[in-house]
Amino acid sequence: MNLTKQKKFDKVAFAFIAPAFVFFTMFIIVPTLASVYYSFTSWDGISPNVKFIGLANYKEIFTSARFGNALKNTVILTVFISIVENAMALSLALIVDNVRWGKNIFRSAFYIPVLISGIVSGFIWKIMYNYNFGTINSVLQSAGLDGLKQDWLGNTKLTLIMVGVVLVWKGAGYYMVIYLASLQSVSVDLIEAAQIDGASPWQRFRAITIPLISGAFTINFTLSLINGLKVFDQINVMTDGGPGFTTETLVYLLYKVGFNEGRQGFGTAVGIMLLFIIIILNTLQQKFLRSKEVQM
Amino acid sequence: MKKKFISTLLVTAMTATMLAGCGSSSTTGTATGETATDTTGQAAATETEQTETADAAATDSIVTEPTELTLIFADGDDGYKTVMNAIVDRFNATYPDITVTIEPGNGGAYSEFLKTKDSVGEFPDIMEMRDTAVYVRAGKIAPLSEDITSLFKTTTEFDGSVYTAPMAGENTDGIFYNKDYFDKNGFTEPTTYDEFLELCQKIKDKGDMSPLVVGGQDIWHMGFWFHKAYSDQVLSQDADFIKHAYEGTKDFSDDTFKATFEELKTIMQYAQDGWASTPDAQIATFMANDMSAMMFSGTHMVAQLKAAAPDMNIGWFPIPSPDGKMRLVGGAGISGLAMSTEAAADSNKKAAAEEFIKFFFESKNYKEYCETMSAIPTTVNDPQISAEPVFVEIMQAVDDADEIGPMWNGRSGENELPTDFRNFTYKTLIEVLQGTRDIDSATTELNKTWQTSMESFNPVTGVGIE
Repeated sequence: MNLTKQKKFDKVAFAFIAPAFVFFTMFIIVPTLASVYYSFTSWDGISPNVKFIGLANYKEIFTSARFGNALKNTVILTVFISIVENAMALSLALIVDNVRWGKNIFRSAFYIPVLISGIVSGFIWKIMYNYNFGTINSVLQSAGLDGLKQDWLGNTKLTLIMVGVVLVWKGAGYYMVIYLASLQSVSVDLIEAAQIDGASPWQRFRAITIPLISGAFTINFTLSLINGLKVFDQINVMTDGGPGFTTETLVYLLYKVGFNEGRQGFGTAVGIMLLFIIIILNTLQQKFLRSKEVQM
Repeated sequence: MKKKFISTLLVTAMTATMLAGCGSSSTTGTATGETATDTTGQAAATETEQTETADAAATDSIVTEPTELTLIFADGDDGYKTVMNAIVDRFNATYPDITVTIEPGNGGAYSEFLKTKDSVGEFPDIMEMRDTAVYVRAGKIAPLSEDITSLFKTTTEFDGSVYTAPMAGENTDGIFYNKDYFDKNGFTEPTTYDEFLELCQKIKDKGDMSPLVVGGQDIWHMGFWFHKAYSDQVLSQDADFIKHAYEGTKDFSDDTFKATFEELKTIMQYAQDGWASTPDAQIATFMANDMSAMMFSGTHMVAQLKAAAPDMNIGWFPIPSPDGKMRLVGGAGISGLAMSTEAAADSNKKAAAEEFIKFFFESKNYKEYCETMSAIPTTVNDPQISAEPVFVEIMQAVDDADEIGPMWNGRSGENELPTDFRNFTYKTLIEVLQGTRDIDSATTELNKTWQTSMESFNPVTGVGIE
């Protein structure tokens, strides 16, 4: 009797998950497995002839200066946005959490950039960064600060960070909401008790608030890590990976060689490497951040 | 532990989603169709003309049943869209049994778009083809008949067959300048390379504007400059340099190739501040606003300059090579209208597609195309275009040049470049021009990349060709 019930339950459960399972398999699992296969080929993305070349693409990845450069750019950008974006988001969350009036206005204002698409935000900032016609240099010139004018997207020392600034501007509001939700769940009793014991605002923040919102840190750092590793839109619009190779990240390299330069096989191998890099970095990050979390 | 596992699983799934686009052709989106007849308002043909031609054709149908064809071109330019719609409308009116339907072509990323259309099984019957060699090798496009190829002064062959009907002569590059500014300051068109550099120096010393405006953010724009110097330094010494590089008898550490970088370093000191982040689309603005005195670009820029500065008195001159010869980009290139292999396999579609291509190059239609696109005609029959004086001057310069040929990346046969090498070269060039890499290091990187590229593509040995 129990066995029959169990069998019937399985069918129903399968019926519920079947549509999602079929679509997920068709559109995610199968293409991903196909990607693994194509990474061992020299396929150009067009020809019906797909030639198996073994590990040649992976050998090129480990010997190519271009991949190394893209990896370096990706790491710099990811570290930059992980730190700055979270610092900015936490600051904004603290402002919104503590203001006495206009809380909703501030929250909405800080969140608005999140609603703008990556492509559009890229265009907006590209115009602002323009050396000759851009808002930033025009303002600096008007203020008599000509010496501070920069070729924001043409100076190889600045460009990557300028792209990072746009990502922070666009993403901080999203992380702010997560921090804000976490801040609002911190028990007022604990804060008041510490206050009565004479703890300063900084001591209360460091010893009570930060440990209690550590779950939000884990989520936000994980998300910003992933977003940093797969940033594409803004680079595509603002720099096209340039000047030279200055802002070419792993995802952009994948796109350029795979879709633009007729080397789908190599591009896919870059994608597979990126998959492993994300898994490894995320696992390490999770391990570190989870160890710092405080369970209430 | 469970949380860790779920978290890692989520990360994997997100990355897999990103990767999914690379390996499979089944998930890519497609564009919706847009029939040419939707834009009849833009058609230039009169009703009378359409009726007359329709009557003439009605008695002599070239298909045995109603036939539909799809057409895709790089429709980024409004003028291009308008003229193509007008020609297609006229064709459809002339041949009632044939309907050519224009599909959106995503001009900004046309190559990728065409690839996507192929991946999802929507490769058009007729298309503007740019990556001809790749599609010929993939068996996606069919050879054109003698009826069509004989229409042109020159064509590009692949193993004895012609696959593209060149819509325009190669985009001849030269210096566009403001004649009034030159006259006012007593500047004259240089007749030698050294005079060109002297002119740049004079304008720089004057200090009211930059001598040159360069759209360095678009690497294809840098390609104009690169080809000029490459032509001066490399092609002037060895027209088959790329072939010899495939054979291994030459490499990119060659003195002539290094001289290409040196020449560009000399020229680029006269570019405007911020050239590396200036898009090509903005360079006409510099000219219109008297921020730069000269720009180096192709014939397509005539219309853009006219739009940006309608009153500007535009002058043009080619930059001579340092050895005194005039080497220009010109002649029929590798790109043009092509017919898909699938269409060629259907007798009706083949006949209709060939008829459309011939119709496109009929003088009345082709004249309209050339005038709208500032295109240099490629047909044996001169379409008698009414062109701006500056455009006439460019066409004359092409006729008078010591050497004309396609861009270094537009050559076929044993001098065809690996698909990824052009962009790599331009990006490396930008690094050199910005001082983040020296020339020796750049040529070393180019040699490494070349060796890797040759492993999958070498027309001399046949690797990647079969």
